Amino acid sequence: MLQITKLHANVADKPILKGLTLSLNAGEIHAIMGPNGAGKSTLGYVLSGRPGYEVTEGSVTFNGQDLLALEPHERAAAGLFLGFQYPVEIPGVSNVRFLREALNAQRKSRGEAPLSGAEFLKVAREQATALGMDMDMLKRPVNVGFSGGEKKRNEMVQMGIINPALAILDETDSGLDIDALRIVGDGINRIMRKPDKAVLLITHYQRLLDYVKPDFVHVLADGRITRTGGPELALELERDGYKELAA
Amino acid sequence: MPAPTRHDEAWRYSDIAALEAAWPLPAPESIIVPAGGHYARTIVQDTGSIHQIEIAIGKDATAAIHVLSIGGEYGRVELNVTLHEGADFKLGAVQIAGGTQTLEIITTVTHAEPKATSSQIVRSVLAGTATGTYLGKVAVARDAQLTDSAQSVKAMLLDRSATANAKPELEICADDVKCAHGCAIGELDPMGLFYLEARGLSPADAKKLMLQAFVAGVFEGAADEEMLIETALKKLGELV
Amino acid sequence: MSDDMDIKDKAAWDAAERVADYEHGWSSDIETDFAPKGLTEDTVRFISAKKNEPEWMLEWRLKAFASWKMMTPPDWAKLNVPPIDYQDAYYYAEPKAKPKLGSLDEVDPEILRIYEKLGIPIAEQKLLAGVEGGEDGGLPQRRVAVDAVFDSVSVATTFRAELERAGVIFRSISEAIKEYPELVKKWLGKIVPMHDNYFATLNCAVFSDGTFVYIPEGVRCPMELSTYFRINAENTGQFERTLIIADKGSYVSYLEGCTAPMRDENQLHAAVVELVALDDAEIKYSTVQNWYPGDAEGKGGIYNFVTKRALCQGRNSKVSWTQVETGSAVTWKYPSCVLNGENSVGEFYSVAVTNNYQQADTGTKMIHNGKGSRSTIVSKGISAGHSNNTYRGLVRVAPNAEGVRNFTQCDSLLLGSLSGAHTVPYIEVRNPSAQIEHEATTSKISDDQMFYAMARGLNAEEAVTLIVNGFAKEVLQQLPMEFAVEAQKLLGISLEGSVG
Repeated sequence: MLQITKLHANVADKPILKGLTLSLNAGEIHAIMGPNGAGKSTLGYVLSGRPGYEVTEGSVTFNGQDLLALEPHERAAAGLFLGFQYPVEIPGVSNVRFLREALNAQRKSRGEAPLSGAEFLKVAREQATALGMDMDMLKRPVNVGFSGGEKKRNEMVQMGIINPALAILDETDSGLDIDALRIVGDGINRIMRKPDKAVLLITHYQRLLDYVKPDFVHVLADGRITRTGGPELALELERDGYKELAA
Repeated sequence: MPAPTRHDEAWRYSDIAALEAAWPLPAPESIIVPAGGHYARTIVQDTGSIHQIEIAIGKDATAAIHVLSIGGEYGRVELNVTLHEGADFKLGAVQIAGGTQTLEIITTVTHAEPKATSSQIVRSVLAGTATGTYLGKVAVARDAQLTDSAQSVKAMLLDRSATANAKPELEICADDVKCAHGCAIGELDPMGLFYLEARGLSPADAKKLMLQAFVAGVFEGAADEEMLIETALKKLGELV
Repeated sequence: MSDDMDIKDKAAWDAAERVADYEHGWSSDIETDFAPKGLTEDTVRFISAKKNEPEWMLEWRLKAFASWKMMTPPDWAKLNVPPIDYQDAYYYAEPKAKPKLGSLDEVDPEILRIYEKLGIPIAEQKLLAGVEGGEDGGLPQRRVAVDAVFDSVSVATTFRAELERAGVIFRSISEAIKEYPELVKKWLGKIVPMHDNYFATLNCAVFSDGTFVYIPEGVRCPMELSTYFRINAENTGQFERTLIIADKGSYVSYLEGCTAPMRDENQLHAAVVELVALDDAEIKYSTVQNWYPGDAEGKGGIYNFVTKRALCQGRNSKVSWTQVETGSAVTWKYPSCVLNGENSVGEFYSVAVTNNYQQADTGTKMIHNGKGSRSTIVSKGISAGHSNNTYRGLVRVAPNAEGVRNFTQCDSLLLGSLSGAHTVPYIEVRNPSAQIEHEATTSKISDDQMFYAMARGLNAEEAVTLIVNGFAKEVLQQLPMEFAVEAQKLLGISLEGSVG
């Protein structure tokens, strides 16, 4: 589904990714772990096309398409979803309105009919309920006044509504207490653990992996993948730290 | 009387050539809101005209003005408001300019007597080489105690050569008052735009949505709120 | 830290307890040599001749004088100033017993007594009095070099030798014109052009003395530099001129203090201060302005029309203005920064107190021309009595200045219902990437605050002084320690009689 080959990327002229190669197939969940500053968040931003993240070498294909040639919204329409580490507050724009516009923009570009207000609200209510989020919160401006945990939960509601083929979840577990972590973990499994979908979990700690079992665990250090293994690698990292393994 | 020049404070950012062509101006429109009364008005400036309105708001009376200024090479909406005891004035104003337009909103709100309240919200969206100006003076007379006045002024520049001018001025001669103003000028939050695009909105739609949020709320409570929002959106659509 | 604060608080309290209308309100019996009263081309020639100036300087002055005659005073400020009779003042006054530099014995004892009365911090007094011996040991760790300008003439400059070893030039401007003509010519009138405004042009014609500072490349000035200005003679205008040049990578902190005796007539002070900071240089300029404010009925006092401007010319250059304005009958003053350098920084921290019939119209201009330039404005205005206190400021962003940031906070505190507090910010932005924020608030001291402070044992004036110092804290913190103590005292003294 996703093929990253020898990817190099700069932020503000500073090389962050230095030849990263990674391949995800449909039906797989991959976890990327690594120390702070290794380039984990950069990978998420490069894949979703954030301005200022400049690819200098390498290629990324997504379902056979050149991902890097697409604008951020085209990547979204193609089925890619980035769960933000720090979801952005947008005063004055309600969650419901934002998501309906976003979803219908994606549907339109795929040649699908737009959802009516009622149809959309039905989907939104299902997802919000499943993630234990109050419908009132969906009517409030996007992320404004939300706690850290509420923002992350809101990301999952958005993922449920948009229903992407590939989710890149950047530190979705940070800022969550134990109960919220379980709800979010269940959400990821429910929405994304399907034969035609894939997930790239970017995380610093292995605790989310107790709820979302990865098929593969990769260590990202100094801009490239230095080790790949099964779920047991996450436990090993948790026990021994990154220093031992990164080298 | 000769036409003003840039040395006149109230005209310092005006399109002087356009002003001279329109000079002399007719006498300002005068509105008196009687004690206990209520007055509401919507002004849509879409032809490049100069509106000068004087409003005296009587004891415990209220006035609510909504302004949408979008049209013409030079457009000016000037409000001169005097508040008597316990009166209330609300202004919600939006100006959207592109090309070589010069639009300005000028307000002088005088709290002449105690316990009056005023609130002004002004939003400008400027593209091309347009100039958008807000000169807003709140004056609190001696002994106009318990005045409560707020000004919120924001401008958004869409292009490098657009100009936003703001002068949110306070002139306060009484001590037991609450007067605050805030002013912010900037561009659309790039992280916000990216967030919207990452959820599938095209760059133009993301911009429009952010701009709509920027001006939404200003027209709240207007009798013709929907018309104002629609007209504003249409103009925004032309600029993005 | 807490010790410092205790000392500061104690000093502030001591001062607040003193009951004096104007501590510096005496005049000293020093024989003075005047230029003839009035202002003509001859006055300009007289001043220039008195200073043994080179021809180019005289020509410059005459050119300014010719222009000034054609100009009119600015009328846009919120000030009510009666017409000034420029022919009814002296433009040059020189203490007759002029001391030679460097030796205490030659300093007129009367002048030394003045330093004492001025409340020049003890450490500086010792140094000033011990010009030669003062540099050997037994000194406090913090050293300040002082230039004292008395009426029209610089009377003493301390620490010159040590500064010179570091390459720092610290001179009266009259000396600098003769000794460093190239440096002076390069920058004089380049930051504040000759025709900038009525008062600046007048200053160009008749400036009498002032301070010149040059910090060479890479030098961190080893001590704080300080000038005390005092108008002593009657009917005398003071027109000093300061020029500070911070070369690449240098740093200097400069302090300026001003006082004048009580006089029934109004006296004119029209200074020009020019600062230039080259690449990576930093200038910190602090002022405690305590010119005579006039009496409680508004009689007398200094007319303070000052043009201060800094050119942040170099990359990463930084200029920080801090001012505590408590004196003068009329203040018209806008210390500004022209931010030409990429990533240059301008700061303006101001406390302005007006009481009785004082009028202040003061603020700043931040002109952003350089990419990534940033500025911060914090203005605290305190109005009491029948006074009027105006903040007037401009933030301008040029079309090519990407990534500019400005934050402005203007707070006004009103004491009593007869005073006025005004805020006039101008914001002009031509680049979309700018982030400009302006906030303003107006408040009074609440009855609850007063009651709380008084329930803890403070009397009304002490309570006001305490609360006002809290209100102004953000600005006072920017001052070097010695000045902070002085400023706290002044806030209390300035507000005497404003409550109850």
